[in-house]
Amino acid sequence: MCAKSPDELAKERLARIEAARNLEEPDRVPLSGIGGDIIPAYAGITQHEFCYDYDKAIKAIEKYLRDFPSDMPGGGFSGLDGRAFCIAFSEFPDLSPAFTLVSGPLHDALGDKYYRYPGREIDENASPQFIGGTFMQPEEYDQLIEDPVGFIAETILPRACTNLETKRKAMATWVRVGMEISKAGPAYAELGKILAELGYPSMPMGWGYAPMDIIGDFLRGISNAVLDVRRYPDKVKKAIDALTEPVIQYSLATVQGGAKIAMFPLHLNEYLSPKLYNEFYWPSLKKVIMRFYEEGVKSQVFFEGHHEPHLETILELPKGWGVAYFEKTDVVKAKEVLQGHTCIMGGIPMSLLVSGTPQEIDDFIKDLLKKMKPGGGFILAAGVNVAPANTPPENIHALIEAVEKYG
Amino acid sequence: MLDELFNKIVDMDEEGAVSLAKEYLEKGGDAQKLLDVCRDAMAVVGDKFEKGEYFLSELLLGGEIFKGIMELALPMIKEGEGKKIGKMVLGTVKEDIHNIGKDIFKAFAEAAGFEVIDIGVDVPVEKFVDAVKENKPDLVGMSCLITAGISSMKKTIEAIKQAGLTEPKIIIGGGRVDEEVKEFTGADAWADDAAKGVRLCKELMGVEG
Repeated sequence: MCAKSPDELAKERLARIEAARNLEEPDRVPLSGIGGDIIPAYAGITQHEFCYDYDKAIKAIEKYLRDFPSDMPGGGFSGLDGRAFCIAFSEFPDLSPAFTLVSGPLHDALGDKYYRYPGREIDENASPQFIGGTFMQPEEYDQLIEDPVGFIAETILPRACTNLETKRKAMATWVRVGMEISKAGPAYAELGKILAELGYPSMPMGWGYAPMDIIGDFLRGISNAVLDVRRYPDKVKKAIDALTEPVIQYSLATVQGGAKIAMFPLHLNEYLSPKLYNEFYWPSLKKVIMRFYEEGVKSQVFFEGHHEPHLETILELPKGWGVAYFEKTDVVKAKEVLQGHTCIMGGIPMSLLVSGTPQEIDDFIKDLLKKMKPGGGFILAAGVNVAPANTPPENIHALIEAVEKYG
Repeated sequence: MLDELFNKIVDMDEEGAVSLAKEYLEKGGDAQKLLDVCRDAMAVVGDKFEKGEYFLSELLLGGEIFKGIMELALPMIKEGEGKKIGKMVLGTVKEDIHNIGKDIFKAFAEAAGFEVIDIGVDVPVEKFVDAVKENKPDLVGMSCLITAGISSMKKTIEAIKQAGLTEPKIIIGGGRVDEEVKEFTGADAWADDAAKGVRLCKELMGVEG
């Protein structure tokens, strides 16, 4: 068999992914690549190097993707959710998308308290982690409601970032941040070139966010945000409403370059009962998804944790709205509810890749695909796509082979 | 009055429950009895969670209500008066800095009558071993959120066993933990929510319900 050219491979992969997203049955079930801590580990570099040195990171990603091919690359540069910054910059669509993921160097420049980076606050081989925190008091909801962008930009960020504490410090910080962002540009271009050489289709990605997650992740902290729903329900509801338009502005800015799919990581969905989810979380999230839909952009929403209690709400969206990516929700059960309406993504427990044997993985994928393949509209992926550093490479090979066999 | 308090806790009436507890103590009520009622109510909140009637937000709020009442009642309870059903060393494992899951679990474990020694987050292997040596707990609880925590748990459990500390039962918990992870790490039990975690801790201790 002749090896396929990168172009041929890219076309084949794109057709496969698009068929699944369009609820059709592709030539084989697409596999979204496994990524995570294993990428630097496989290249023998530290997490710190991976987060702070673009050249080393590019080489590590290239080596990993060459040895573990899939239909969508599982690896990219490290970065943690930076949506508070995106909202602060939401009036500037040329800038707001650049803060979607905050890299290690940006974290250093900002001196923020949201993230912990390897070789900084945590061990050089630990994964970068989002910790968030409480940067707003409940009495301040009115200010947030009154002027969400101004309040986040002028009150919250100076509290959350040591290097934005004073206006003078902030001047220097924003210059440094700009310089770091301009360094990232060529690195992303270089990575794009390598992805094309490896036969990955160019698929620009947009980004969305659930407005309520801004409150949990960046303003009040997760626990407080959840408690506020009970303690100050009206304020929380108004704050979510006030944040929705800035979130939409930012989200649309991320697709102005022509992206046809937008990724949403969700955080508070699993915390809420169906009643609270439907009252607080879902309406504004639905608005953001619908704005993308009106623009011809599909959404890919990562429903973290157990989303079973809220599955039916997905049917409120128009058919073909996008991709529901599940973590712990049973994809077979989800298919019973969503088939023909929503593309489903997920299915592989990370624990299986870490601790299973190649044979167990083969058996598992065979059984899963027997149920998920018919009718199409399914993308195979790890529930949480962070393979630990010590994930056995033979297990990932076993997964790739199993998809070829049973997909 | 205590029946009313029980219902207020189970129904998630935070303000009502805390003010009623305050009133009860001010009127000279028995702090230990109050605590027992709170414990029973927290057990019901845990049950409702396991049945799918309650969600994480209710567990969080239940924990808050319990903490609020404890603050009032604890100073009035004599040392050694409240009986503990077991002692536990609890921490989030190395390289993981997340605390929300651990803290919810801790509130429910304390409510169930466990003495919990919380050794924090990103806990190095040696610190877990030392804490077990020093405190001689009946149980060791390990929490993690990120997948890197899986191998930290395995290393920590191996080190505890290698140090000859085979007495305490080990329970692991967190969003990415499952049966496979339990087998892989060598733990005795696993839970991915606080309610189940506390139920299993009681089972490991041989305590009814």
